[in-house]
Amino acid sequence: MTLLRIENLYRAFGNLVVTNNVNLAIEPGERHAIIGPNGAGKTSLVNQIGGQLAPSGGRIWLKGNDITGWPPDRVSRAGVARTFQRNNLFHNLGVLENLRLAVGARRGRSLDFFTPVRRLSLLTARAGELMRQVELRQDGTAPARNLSYGEQRQLELGIALAGEPDLLLLDEPTSGMSPAETARVIELIAALPRALTILMIEHDMNVVFSVADRITVLHYGEVVASGPAAEIRASDRVREVYLGMMH
Amino acid sequence: MAYLVAQLLNGLVYGMLLFLMAAGLSLIFGLMNVVSLAHGSFFMLGAFFGLTIFQLTNNFWAAFFLAPLPVVLIGMAMERVFLRPLYRRGHMDQVLLTFGFLFVFFDLVQAVWGRTVRTLPAPEALRGNTEIGAGVFSSYRLFLIALGFAIAVLLWQLLERSRIGAMVRAGVDDSAMAAGLGVNIPALFSAVFGAGVALAALGGVAAGPVLGLYPGMDAEILIPAFIVIVIGGMGSLRGAFAGSLLIGVADTFGKAYLPSMALFLIYLVMALVLLARPQGLFGIAHTHTASAPTFALSADHPRQTRLIGLILLAAMMVFPFLVSSYPRDLLAEIYIFAILAMSLDLILGFTGLMSLGHAGFFGLGAYAVAILTTHAGASAWLGLAGGVLLAAVAAAVIGFFCVRTAGITFLMLTLAFGQLIFSAALKWRDITGGSDGLAIAQKPSLFGGDLANSLTMYFLALACFLSCYWGLRRLLNAPLGHVFVGIRENEARMMAIGYPTRRYKLLSFVIAGGLAGFSGGLYAIFNSFISPDAVYWTASGDILIMVILGGAGTLIGPVIGSGLFLLMKNVVSTYSDHWMLIIGVVFICCVMFFPGGIWGSVRQITLPKALKWRFA
Repeated sequence: MTLLRIENLYRAFGNLVVTNNVNLAIEPGERHAIIGPNGAGKTSLVNQIGGQLAPSGGRIWLKGNDITGWPPDRVSRAGVARTFQRNNLFHNLGVLENLRLAVGARRGRSLDFFTPVRRLSLLTARAGELMRQVELRQDGTAPARNLSYGEQRQLELGIALAGEPDLLLLDEPTSGMSPAETARVIELIAALPRALTILMIEHDMNVVFSVADRITVLHYGEVVASGPAAEIRASDRVREVYLGMMH
Repeated sequence: MAYLVAQLLNGLVYGMLLFLMAAGLSLIFGLMNVVSLAHGSFFMLGAFFGLTIFQLTNNFWAAFFLAPLPVVLIGMAMERVFLRPLYRRGHMDQVLLTFGFLFVFFDLVQAVWGRTVRTLPAPEALRGNTEIGAGVFSSYRLFLIALGFAIAVLLWQLLERSRIGAMVRAGVDDSAMAAGLGVNIPALFSAVFGAGVALAALGGVAAGPVLGLYPGMDAEILIPAFIVIVIGGMGSLRGAFAGSLLIGVADTFGKAYLPSMALFLIYLVMALVLLARPQGLFGIAHTHTASAPTFALSADHPRQTRLIGLILLAAMMVFPFLVSSYPRDLLAEIYIFAILAMSLDLILGFTGLMSLGHAGFFGLGAYAVAILTTHAGASAWLGLAGGVLLAAVAAAVIGFFCVRTAGITFLMLTLAFGQLIFSAALKWRDITGGSDGLAIAQKPSLFGGDLANSLTMYFLALACFLSCYWGLRRLLNAPLGHVFVGIRENEARMMAIGYPTRRYKLLSFVIAGGLAGFSGGLYAIFNSFISPDAVYWTASGDILIMVILGGAGTLIGPVIGSGLFLLMKNVVSTYSDHWMLIIGVVFICCVMFFPGGIWGSVRQITLPKALKWRFA
């Protein structure tokens, strides 16, 4: 069954149409990249899937359920996790605590008002596992705001993975990173289990072509092209619209 | 018919006075994201300066035109010297600062003009009546209505047509962008703040002949003005105008036709509007990033404080045997208020929601004890249990409306609902005894010990305090407490990882309300008396001061804060009448220089860095 199906999705801010009749289907295990020039409506699309932004028209189906207009927490519990383009962490809390909160949302006993968190060893163990998975090598007590920018991006990814999602939305996972940091994130993403479906927005073509098997090109809120990575790479139309604008 | 028209006229008059307040409040909020809790003080200052100028010149118009000037100077000085250095911090710090000034102004007005009700006579030319058709109307009231409409039109023209208006509109829309385009934002802030103060002061003088002058008139006008801008939409001039007329007319008609329900009518209007349109009638639904006040962060108890804790505990057990009943009773009172302050800190410091109506839940607990023992002859213990339940249920209902909002709207809503409970205590004389309050004839006994005995009472208060402290500490260290802190730190991200944050905020609000009710019930037993004073919104302010002063976002902070507050109150008030001035100044200094409160500042000095960030 198709994991995510988007039908005739439409969203406008006043006269500005940011999502114009977008149709998209993503199969389980797919690695799908959305590319397009600045202002193409990429983040708006992800925000509508994640529930941060309500669409004005159209439908979003997840595993056959209509999730259109669901609030973010419900979308998240339905199996969609996301990262944000700008780091969106619990900046004053420790790295481990950031991850524990994220793990607790799915597995925790969040209404427990009596057991000290430090005694919930499963929770802490899982959070520690996630730290290793995203290659954060600290003791976990330092507040997130003391991490380097690249480490914050890794933590951002770790928080998303903590929810054990079926669908992972990555909004520019390498934005603002140095080439070395970017290479590390590509490795991290490549090491994720193949069964995990990923929908990512990315500007860096190296990242896109090394991660994605399918690519959708957005331009002024519309889908210009969508297909296997090799096909998109070869498409003259895409070059004209996208690469032509960048150079 | 004539009566109806007369009521409509009165409603319009009241609406116009509200508009003069609400217009300034709303513009200041729209531009600076700050709700000035001292705005009612400028209204009051305008009225009293008007009185003095009238006494000197015997000319109403001199008072009318000159009185706003000194008030504007005071307001702009406050903005320039105190608010401006805090712009880089959260907006809530500025709101807290204006709250300190409310105390200062109130005390100064009392000191200069006395506590009695004064009157400012209407100008001679407007003392008579005017006949329009079949009706006879007070000329001065007609003048007020005309004045309100004229100012509304003038403001609207100024905003829409003038260059300054364009700058203000740009600033309201996006102050960072406006600054980038060359608008001098600090100067604009000062100008708008000054203009808002001028309108409030003008409203104060104009209201003089209608309302009477007395210390306390500031709150009488501030709270309905808050309701107006919540209904009309924050930052919208049209909303302020429409909301003022709506509340002015609704309130006047309510008082005329449904006197027993009048107080509830405007709250009902507010609740209905908020259910249908949370952003208010003319408000734009944009998410103001109303950040929580600057707090210290919670940390675990390191070993050295554990030792200090044991010593303190021993001291608390021995102390009552060494002293007379006065300090013993004072300490028992501190324990009871510490429970109240900790409960507020749960929502304020740990969940990040600033409530200014918390005394309402305290009052529900206290009145439950008083009413059940007086009218039903029930045991005070039953009253205590009933009070906790009542407060928790009320918190669930009130919270249902409040947690849909955040930041300043949350603050104003809780304030309004708190006043609703106060009104109920004041107006339902048959049950609550009205302003006379209720006495609890007989203190209950505790395991054979008589609570009239100060020692027994002391240990009851101590035991309750320690249980609450211990319970809250467990809660804050448990997953639920961590979820609350997560919401305070980043609510959007909590939603994105799957927490239904609104429900958790409601839960926090209900727990805090129940605990406040518990503290209120204990207080009723301790004090044997409860009156509406304990429920008035300044009582909510007192709790807020205790929490902020001691250190919000920590559990020890509120305890220190309530201890210091009550000690100061008892000591200072024996030497000086200016208790409010002193607490106001102390509070202002605390907000400006010690944003973490006493405990937050102490911890920053003594704890090694590694411990400072260890999460509870």
